[in-house]
Amino acid sequence: MFKETAQLFKAAAPLLAKTTLWKEVRISSTHGGSSVHGHRYFNVTCSLCAKVPPRKKPRVKVDIPGLERITYGDRMHYVPGLAKPSFPTWVRDWNDPSHYYAPKEEEMPLHKEKSCFIFNQRTNALEGVRQALWLTKSKLTNGLPDQVLSLAENEANQIENQDERVQNAIRHARFWDTTEERPSRDTFCVALLRSLIHLCGSLQVSHPGLGRRILAEKYSLAATWSRGEDLFQVRGQNGLLLNSMAPLPVLAGKEEVQSTADHVLETFYPISPTIDLQSVQVYEEQNHTGFKEDYPYPHAHTLFLLEAGDTPVTLLPEQLRAKMIMFAFGNALARAHTLHGTKPGVLEQPIVVQSVATNGRMFQYVVFQLNTTDLQADEGVKNQVWVENDQLLYDFAKVRPLIKKRVVQIPPGLSGYKPETFQKFLSLYLHGAV
Amino acid sequence: MAVASLSRALRSLSLSWPALLPTQTAGQMVLRAQTSSMFLTCSGWRGFLTTSCLEQNRNAWKQREKYTVRPIGMKKTGGRDHSGRVRTHGIGGGHKQRYRWIDFQRLRYEPGREEQTFEERVMEVRYDPCRSAEIALVAGGKRKRWIIATENMQVGDLIKTSGTIGRMAVSAKEGDSFPLGALPVGTLVNNLELYPGKGATYIRAAGTSGVLLRKVSGTAIVQLPSKQQIQVIETCMATVGRVSNIDHNKRIIGKAGRNRWLGIRPSSGLWKRKGGWAGRKIKPLPPMKSYINLPLVSAN
Repeated sequence: MFKETAQLFKAAAPLLAKTTLWKEVRISSTHGGSSVHGHRYFNVTCSLCAKVPPRKKPRVKVDIPGLERITYGDRMHYVPGLAKPSFPTWVRDWNDPSHYYAPKEEEMPLHKEKSCFIFNQRTNALEGVRQALWLTKSKLTNGLPDQVLSLAENEANQIENQDERVQNAIRHARFWDTTEERPSRDTFCVALLRSLIHLCGSLQVSHPGLGRRILAEKYSLAATWSRGEDLFQVRGQNGLLLNSMAPLPVLAGKEEVQSTADHVLETFYPISPTIDLQSVQVYEEQNHTGFKEDYPYPHAHTLFLLEAGDTPVTLLPEQLRAKMIMFAFGNALARAHTLHGTKPGVLEQPIVVQSVATNGRMFQYVVFQLNTTDLQADEGVKNQVWVENDQLLYDFAKVRPLIKKRVVQIPPGLSGYKPETFQKFLSLYLHGAV
Repeated sequence: MAVASLSRALRSLSLSWPALLPTQTAGQMVLRAQTSSMFLTCSGWRGFLTTSCLEQNRNAWKQREKYTVRPIGMKKTGGRDHSGRVRTHGIGGGHKQRYRWIDFQRLRYEPGREEQTFEERVMEVRYDPCRSAEIALVAGGKRKRWIIATENMQVGDLIKTSGTIGRMAVSAKEGDSFPLGALPVGTLVNNLELYPGKGATYIRAAGTSGVLLRKVSGTAIVQLPSKQQIQVIETCMATVGRVSNIDHNKRIIGKAGRNRWLGIRPSSGLWKRKGGWAGRKIKPLPPMKSYINLPLVSAN
């Protein structure tokens, strides 16, 4: 402390309040703030420029109705003791697209009071398949229907050297399709799926119906329905879609469809079925398949989903199956809405959509049959889902063998190939064209 | 950015002192004039700065307002405070940790379902690097949150949270949370609130539990794990049971490296004579602390 300052303090001590003193004496930063951190004052002692804690947030200006703030705005210059005037936000008088301020959520034109729950490609449903079944009002059957499974067992429907060619496809995807030691999951997953689809497509020689199909990716789906008191939507890009000119044949007959009315949907108290769905207040109730009306392949046949680890969301098999069910349902519902309109009711001709999901080794198969669009109540005819869980195509595809105590536990290369998984894949592909 | 701060510094440069408040006394004015002249003459301080204040984002990771279940990346302080000096010795290094935001206010109603007893299901019980207890992911209604797990919490359990105090004491099941006034005397409690609605601040460490001793006219007296007794309003929430990971105090660190993994730096090796604080103390329990904030009773 300066001697002079100390003397002055002692002299003026009775007149001064202690607290105001120290604040004045300390060097204030030229920013107007109180932090002097990082500054160097060479001729001053440290007690004058010591660090103080950073200032807390400034106090909130409260507008008391009835009390008018006296500001220095009229005087056009700062007057100590008067409040700082608040001016209205300046608005450009012409529309500059590079300086666009979006309106608040409440003022947007599509804002609605009722919220909508959207299932999109990033949704990770907590309850998995149970939640998807409740949302789509469906009955679950484990195992694919026999009509579908029998297709691949028929020798006329099999590919030449089927097993060998599939194993080569796996080896190509897992080992050969890279310049590095091993390809990463997001490359080998895509490569494997494309090879398998190509293999199945080689049967077009003997089955001309297979030619009336096309693959489409990066299409955006929209389907809206209301369930109970809430509104639900399936939106967004989902995966690779195999479209066909002819619809898939119905799997469950009329009696079976009527008998689903007795089935009771499973609830999972205390968790609400809307958990993990994106809740929005600004939305539009859209229903479109993602393709134009004059598209030559209007019927969605199979949806291929990849779980390759390149998305922000990694889905466990249970959640992946839920995603498959929801998007297959979304495709079917959008098709039903375009054919018959949005009025809810039981469909005379049920719509069938298939789905295959893989992570490069494990395959999940789902066949969804949309029987009714009347999803408001819990009673009545239900939709049907056939699910095949966790089908391994092969056990191991190791680049380097696993050796424990000088004994080879898992050999290098492809091991434990299971032909049944590809048979099911092929039968799902052939369904509708045989 | 540096140019902007420099221009800001130059703009505020002025030899006139900021305006004085009308409440200041004459003595102060004299002092100010003298000190200002002193600074300008004696210090020889150039009025502008050539460095700008460093804006540190040390606490930016803590400023998130919306609750999330996803773990949040943390910045370690190493025991340093805002000035950069060591405030607490023996902290530093250790494995990187992500903070899982625990909801200590157990009685937090979902928007739209206020004042209703609700149940939640335990989805996952896992290790938390930031505390000794284990944490549980519970889901109920439309939301998921992390809470401190109690001793026998398993995946799939249903835990109840209620804010009502009935005439009869509820049969307390482990993991459920009730106001202290609704619990029977003698229950083991954890995650105790001191003020209703503030959130649990006491009895959160692994294996700890407090005992509800008495309930007296709108207040409850709880014995904390340190045997200290406190008196709180009976509407404060507490969870029933002991906190998870009860064998935490029996673990053996084993080596110095394990302590370093936990972020504990070695203490100073300098021998210091122990003062009056060391050694076994046998003293009576401190008086009961009361957190009731009763209105002041005036003598008039």
